[in-house]
Amino acid sequence: MDVDESQLKDFKLKPMKCEFNVLSKSDGSAILSQGETVVIVSVNGPLDIKMQSQSIEKATLEVLCCSKGGKPCVADRYKENIIKQTCDAALLSNQYPRTGITITVQELEDCGGLLPCSLNCACLALINSGLAMRCVFAAVTCVVDEQGDIVLGPSKEQLDTARAVLNFVFDSRDKSLMTGFTEGSFSEDTYKEAMERCRVASDLVFAFYRDIVKQYSKIIA
Amino acid sequence: MADVYKLIHPVKFCNDYLSRNIRPDGRSFKQPRSIKINVDSIKTAEASAVVKCGNTAVVCGIQLELSPPKAEEPNVGFLVTNVELPALCSSKLKPGPPSDQAQVVNNIVSDIVLNSKCVDLKDLCIVPDKLAWVLYCDIVCVDNDGSLVDGCIIALMASLKTLSLPKVSYDAETEEIKVDPKSRTKLEIHSFPIVTSFVVYRLNQSNIILADPTAYEEDICGGSGTNLIVCYNKGLFCGTQKFGGSNLSKDCQDDALKTAKERANIVENIIDVCIRNHKNSSINE
Repeated sequence: MDVDESQLKDFKLKPMKCEFNVLSKSDGSAILSQGETVVIVSVNGPLDIKMQSQSIEKATLEVLCCSKGGKPCVADRYKENIIKQTCDAALLSNQYPRTGITITVQELEDCGGLLPCSLNCACLALINSGLAMRCVFAAVTCVVDEQGDIVLGPSKEQLDTARAVLNFVFDSRDKSLMTGFTEGSFSEDTYKEAMERCRVASDLVFAFYRDIVKQYSKIIA
Repeated sequence: MADVYKLIHPVKFCNDYLSRNIRPDGRSFKQPRSIKINVDSIKTAEASAVVKCGNTAVVCGIQLELSPPKAEEPNVGFLVTNVELPALCSSKLKPGPPSDQAQVVNNIVSDIVLNSKCVDLKDLCIVPDKLAWVLYCDIVCVDNDGSLVDGCIIALMASLKTLSLPKVSYDAETEEIKVDPKSRTKLEIHSFPIVTSFVVYRLNQSNIILADPTAYEEDICGGSGTNLIVCYNKGLFCGTQKFGGSNLSKDCQDDALKTAKERANIVENIIDVCIRNHKNSSINE
């Protein structure tokens, strides 16, 4: 399904703000706010890890999600799984065999869209850590509202009243789908249209990444 | 010989099969494994089902309990799913507290059940603010040979379809609860979510999808578990998840959605036929 590119210029994702090197002791760290949602991510690695969890082929990736309340729950495991599998696909982990890489995600404020924000922040922290990556990735959220319209970068109220929430993560090279997860029910056409819109919107996120990297690395920029 | 070859050259072994349009276990790419269902086999549970998809075996049992509803939602009952992956189902799992994989599968299963709205939680309420049913759906995997979510949802739907709730009378003044297990009403099931899992395999610069993968195929495609989970529910999709493995191209996605639709109809029929047969046989007894 083709989406008119000019029509997409009008919309904006939620305003994003980012800062690198917020934590002095980690190998890479970033704080990202998307709208009101704020997440801080620290990346450490390659580290020495226990013999039993070492892999001779690639680095062992470990992701820890800490919610604001501090109490771990089943939903956290699901988030960790999504972040882990996405980062695993993006990292060139076969460059660091027999080591471990840990990614710690700390929620600071959740006003909707915590998981996409965590994914984007994890990507920024990985860029900051200097680990070899195959590609970078951008997570984009959209909702299908009561009228059946697709809204990108939804607010908290829109997320709460939505018929369906669709999240997509695209890679930077050929904009193919790396990860996707949805809530609610929707038709096949809606799914495809939402995906195309998010695919185009992911350009904004990649442009933002580029701006941030330019700010912090004066030499390559 | 083939076994040795599989260990020494795992990738080439797989590529040799897949480049000839066949999978190592002899299936074509989009051919799911055969399904066997047995309903109401556990007499101590209110409703139960045993499902085998190929070698993957899942048992689901539903227990009923009464409880006051939540204060925020006084006219809503509860449906609690719990997926258990004991050490016996796979060599990768160790005994102890629920593994990460079990928690992830549980989250996906409960999301699908709630998103599809197959059980209206308002039907579970008996007296608003006082009394509601709690459906404990325990799903245990006995043998994990891939496509676990498929098996869990089939087992859960087959059990829910056979579930009937006993009549409960509640005296508002004395707060006395009387349960009459003899007179039962069937629980209404509003929709029928059916899940099909896929893995995305990268073969010579292009991606192919394999429907209903075995544990071996899941391993070879990277990531933990299946890469793509599509849930089809009577004309609508409720929950598509993609994680890990190779990236998904548009063609592959269209293929996957089409395959999921076709399979949903078949599986729905299988469950219906199984329940009908079970009813007929219990009447004859």
